Amino acid sequence: MHYDLIIIGMGLSGLMAAKTALDLKKRVLLIGKGMGGLTLFSNTIDILGRIPENLNLKDGLFEWIKDHPEHPYSKIGVEGIEEALSSFISIFPPPYTFQSLNGRNAKLPTAIGTFRPTYLFPSTLAGGTYLKEGNTLIVGFKGFKDFYAGYMAKEFKCRHLTLSLQDEGRSELTATYLSRLMEKEGFRERIGSQIKNALKGESLVAMPPILGLRDPMDAKKHLEAITGVEVFEIPTLPPSLLGMRLFNRFKEYLLERGVDLLIGNKISKVQIKSALCEGIEVYHPPITRFYSADHFILATGRFIGGGLEAERERISETVFHLPVWSTRSQDKWFGENFFDDHPIHGFGISVDPSFRPLDSEGKPIFENVRVIGTILSGHHSLYEGSREGIEISTGYWGAKRLLE
Amino acid sequence: MTLSSKKRDSLKRNADLCIRCANCMAVCPVSRVTPLFPGPKHAGPGAERFRRPGELSVDEWVDLCIGCHLCDSVCPAGVPISELNLLAKAKSLDERGRPFRDWLLTHSYLYGWGGVLFSPLTNRLLRNSMVKRLLETILKIHRKSPLPDYQSPTFRQWFKGRSSRGGKKIAYFYGCFTNTNEIDVGKATVEVLEAIGFEVVLPPQDCCGLPMLGNGDFNGAIKKGRKNLSSLLRTIRSGMEVLYTSTSCGFMIKHEYAHLLELPGSEDLAKHTFELFEFLRTLKESGNLNFHFKKLPVKAGYFAPCHLRALGIGFPAFEILKLIPGLESKVIEADCCGMGGTFGFKKEKYEIAEEIGKDLREAIDRLNPELILTECEGCRLQIRHLTGLKVLHPIQILRDALRSSSDQEVFDVGDALKNKIGLKS
Ligand code: SF4
Ligand code: SF4
Repeated sequence: MHYDLIIIGMGLSGLMAAKTALDLKKRVLLIGKGMGGLTLFSNTIDILGRIPENLNLKDGLFEWIKDHPEHPYSKIGVEGIEEALSSFISIFPPPYTFQSLNGRNAKLPTAIGTFRPTYLFPSTLAGGTYLKEGNTLIVGFKGFKDFYAGYMAKEFKCRHLTLSLQDEGRSELTATYLSRLMEKEGFRERIGSQIKNALKGESLVAMPPILGLRDPMDAKKHLEAITGVEVFEIPTLPPSLLGMRLFNRFKEYLLERGVDLLIGNKISKVQIKSALCEGIEVYHPPITRFYSADHFILATGRFIGGGLEAERERISETVFHLPVWSTRSQDKWFGENFFDDHPIHGFGISVDPSFRPLDSEGKPIFENVRVIGTILSGHHSLYEGSREGIEISTGYWGAKRLLE
Repeated sequence: MTLSSKKRDSLKRNADLCIRCANCMAVCPVSRVTPLFPGPKHAGPGAERFRRPGELSVDEWVDLCIGCHLCDSVCPAGVPISELNLLAKAKSLDERGRPFRDWLLTHSYLYGWGGVLFSPLTNRLLRNSMVKRLLETILKIHRKSPLPDYQSPTFRQWFKGRSSRGGKKIAYFYGCFTNTNEIDVGKATVEVLEAIGFEVVLPPQDCCGLPMLGNGDFNGAIKKGRKNLSSLLRTIRSGMEVLYTSTSCGFMIKHEYAHLLELPGSEDLAKHTFELFEFLRTLKESGNLNFHFKKLPVKAGYFAPCHLRALGIGFPAFEILKLIPGLESKVIEADCCGMGGTFGFKKEKYEIAEEIGKDLREAIDRLNPELILTECEGCRLQIRHLTGLKVLHPIQILRDALRSSSDQEVFDVGDALKNKIGLKS
């Protein structure tokens, strides 16, 4: 089958590129070996967490771009980033929408009892910006091991309530199970009144992100009506239902516009003729299928997404075997802390302003292949707090510069 | 006769690929509705390290896995989660023994002819509440589960009575259910293929074996596979392609015969086996599909069955249906119907199937369609049971919308057609 564009990878950057291409009325195949990393990472939209607290994000970005010419943001510019973000927000109309705190990073509570800076967050998280000592009742569930209300309460110096659903028969509860219960009015009434009775002057109630997948704002409002206080979610371990809501909404939007979606299909080979990619082969035992396209976008992420693979001696890109750039020599690949400014996060694919991958002489390798998302070189997104910002803005501009 | 030890080992080794990302936990339809099943991450790669040959299973809950493959498809690490569950299920059933009920549910091809022969009687009996109660007490088949009706004559018998129209020969694997319970799916397939110039051939065929496989009976599945292979390989060697309309039978033949059961010749067969709409789509892409449709103003919900998703061919029926003028079809936003082959018939699982089904029903209610289209017979039974709506295989509506070639004028016969497909009384 032939497409205008084949996008490889279903994380946020691939989804954004697909949205942008479909908005331009293109025929798109979106293919991923899994479902993308949204249930793993994206609870909120980080743009640039590592800027001084009171700095306006826009100013922070200007500074950052000046100091980091190799950063993906420098290929896009501040206005470009803003345009991409509004395209993202446009598919989340209220009530479940994304907002920032007056153009600055907000500090939102985490499930390990700390605060972390982030830029855009969904409406169900907004209450977290008000959390202060003593003003919040933190509600967990017995048997739901991804969210320890007691521990968090200690860290935040608040009280907690751990609800017990004894009638459910089994000791362990999962996020999707709780979230489905929460979609039922009767269940909300039951726990809502338990929470109300436990309140001792708190003005906020915090919960794990289980306010349902379909209509979380409805569940939030209902609980607020019962308890009389504001209810918000605190992100926790994967599977992230916040990420799932994002993924589901994108999926719905893309399917409505005629995307072909292949979830769970791994690319076994790419067909290349001089500087052009002609198509991809997908091996689905025992069958191999071939898909051709005019253009290709690679959005496979780094090591966790599977876009890069590390061996003892070298690091390789898994689909097109593109050269992988690192700022440091091999004896400097190691670091103490994975989440810090670890050298492993410096690996990536180097691209020109239209996101074409470059060889060692700085010349584009393929004419019709673009690379977007976190697999790009020049950033340490985990450390910078820039993951979703890079994904959204390179996804948007990668597709746009290609197709317009 | 069972899985090769090499295959077993490689499946088990792949359990270690798990990176604990929990993608699979976000999509499993069973753990979403019941805490009795711990979810794919724990049931598959997690519990695998505690399963040793010779040691008794302690994971009876693994039997609750519905085998939908959703977890497999979202796993970025390529862990064969549902297959690990299947192996564990087979092991646990080998130890505990299999209920006679499972045998009955998986061998309907043996007594299906009886149902057909006495179809008026069987159908009355199967609807009788006393009989249903008996089935539940003795056989542990839930009394509310949607047992199918039998039809007479069978599809094969109907086909025999027809004279050949000539044209390029193409083989059709219709599956047990089309043969004895939903004959019209077969008829519609034949009529559409003939309308575009093919001559349909029905090669000798047996149950594909998926019901046995789904119940952890590898031996039974392998026997069926071998039998079908010997007939279907002869068919493709005589130059024909094989089409199927049941996505479950098709997934079994095209992928499980080769990938899981490693049956000799299955790779050849896989290359020549196609889902009906996948085949039509290929014809369309190459400009060789000329349909003339009547206008058919119907609002339809399309449900993609789990085995269609697992086939990795997209939603070809949904694409082809867009060609029918007036037909407004929307994808139903749900992942699983809860039937899971024979899962939803079983007393101990009926409630889980019902709960999964509720989410589907709500998704359907939101769309408010007049008609539901889906390729899988299990889904069709379940959705009829859940909603009371008319549920068809997409080929049936395509057949109804096809204009006979003598019919040159374009005119709106929407209401007449609606009558024909039973939407209007
Ligand atoms: S196959 Fe389906 S039911 Fe079984 S574990 Fe996977 S997602 Fe759950
Ligand atoms: S999706 Fe795959 S890798 Fe992720 S937790 Fe499940 S089995 Fe493990």
